[in-house]
Amino acid sequence: MSFSHLRGFKVAGISTCVPPHTVDNLEAGKDFGAVEVRKVVSMAGVRFRQVAGPDITSVDLCTAAAQRLLDQLGWAPESVTGLIMVTQSPDYFLPSSSCIVHARLGLGVHCATFDVGLGCSGYPYGLYLGAAMLSGGGHQRILVLHGETPSRFVDPSDHATTLLFGDSGSATALEHTGDAQDEAWFGLFTDGSGAEGLIIRGGAFRDPTPADPRDLRLHMDGASIFNFTIKRVPAMIQDTLAYAGLTVPDIDAFIFHQSNRFIMKHLVKKCELPEDRVPFILEDMGNCGGPSVPLTMTRTLAQRGDQPMRLMLLGYGVGLSWGAAIMTLDHSTPLLHHTYQE
Amino acid sequence: MIPITAAEAMAMMSECFMEPVERLTPELCRESIPGWDSMGALMLIAEIDERFQIELSADESRTMKHVSDVLAFLAKHGALAG
Repeated sequence: MSFSHLRGFKVAGISTCVPPHTVDNLEAGKDFGAVEVRKVVSMAGVRFRQVAGPDITSVDLCTAAAQRLLDQLGWAPESVTGLIMVTQSPDYFLPSSSCIVHARLGLGVHCATFDVGLGCSGYPYGLYLGAAMLSGGGHQRILVLHGETPSRFVDPSDHATTLLFGDSGSATALEHTGDAQDEAWFGLFTDGSGAEGLIIRGGAFRDPTPADPRDLRLHMDGASIFNFTIKRVPAMIQDTLAYAGLTVPDIDAFIFHQSNRFIMKHLVKKCELPEDRVPFILEDMGNCGGPSVPLTMTRTLAQRGDQPMRLMLLGYGVGLSWGAAIMTLDHSTPLLHHTYQE
Repeated sequence: MIPITAAEAMAMMSECFMEPVERLTPELCRESIPGWDSMGALMLIAEIDERFQIELSADESRTMKHVSDVLAFLAKHGALAG
């Protein structure tokens, strides 16, 4: 069983950052034909996307998000003893992106710093790792960063992916409390046999210079990914809730990875989730990969009233990998969002 | 699972592929149905999952070349009455 129940930590704050350039799909997709574009926009639910130019990377977006969060929380850089960066769009093969961010934030040498190479499922995984480090003892404050720039690795001639993806970075501050009442549940899963369904085949060491340049771009088998999603995500929701001893009404909001409106609507219906508890941000942000989970939180939960919220966070996609986290967000936890300043 | 009639299956495909139902015949090929593209295929997979809880795999979806292939798939899984 890959379920875990961790205690004694809390989410101290979440910050997200998007690039300044806005793309309107109705304009950008004109080359594909008006009918085709309208179909993508209505089905995928993506009208606008925030897209990184060649000079903005996941590291830039995550650093900006993290710096704002540290400032807001008043955390001294040397008080952070763990930095995890989840990304599949690193600045370099080596060193790790997390090490670049570590320097930019001015963190101290007593800081465990590493990357995690996961995509759409990355947020629950990153939270799990940070929570496990805090629960294990020794650490007081950890930053979990999750950033992606998928718009930079799509094939411009593939309307199914080109019009879908936006970019974003995020930073989540986790803090040790030692209070057993502060608890979270995690369910983490993998099916590597589906790896071909969402893949960039070339450019790394298996095939550094592919004969077909399209192999340097994202290949997506939409039907396979759709089948994976509708098979695995409902079971994950059901099983993780059962593990936590909870049911659907116990969850105040289900924060899905914003993959595609059609897929998400199907999941909501199939899982019989209350629609008003499943926020969507696809129309303005597109599919930003795994960081769409914290982005949905900062975009839709900032004005959430004066009660704690119990959230179920859901990531699923490339790998194939999927994960869920159930955690409580205090009413005063800062949820910050801003646009990157070049 | 409640099986559907051939006429109801045609209506289902009409909705998925955004094609007038009167145009759909078992012999009609995929290339003649503009809406039976990658998105139309997804709509069909979703509809079959929702109505019958049957998985139409990506590979099997790609092998479907005629409306009759969809009908045969439904029949094979007991989703087509008669």
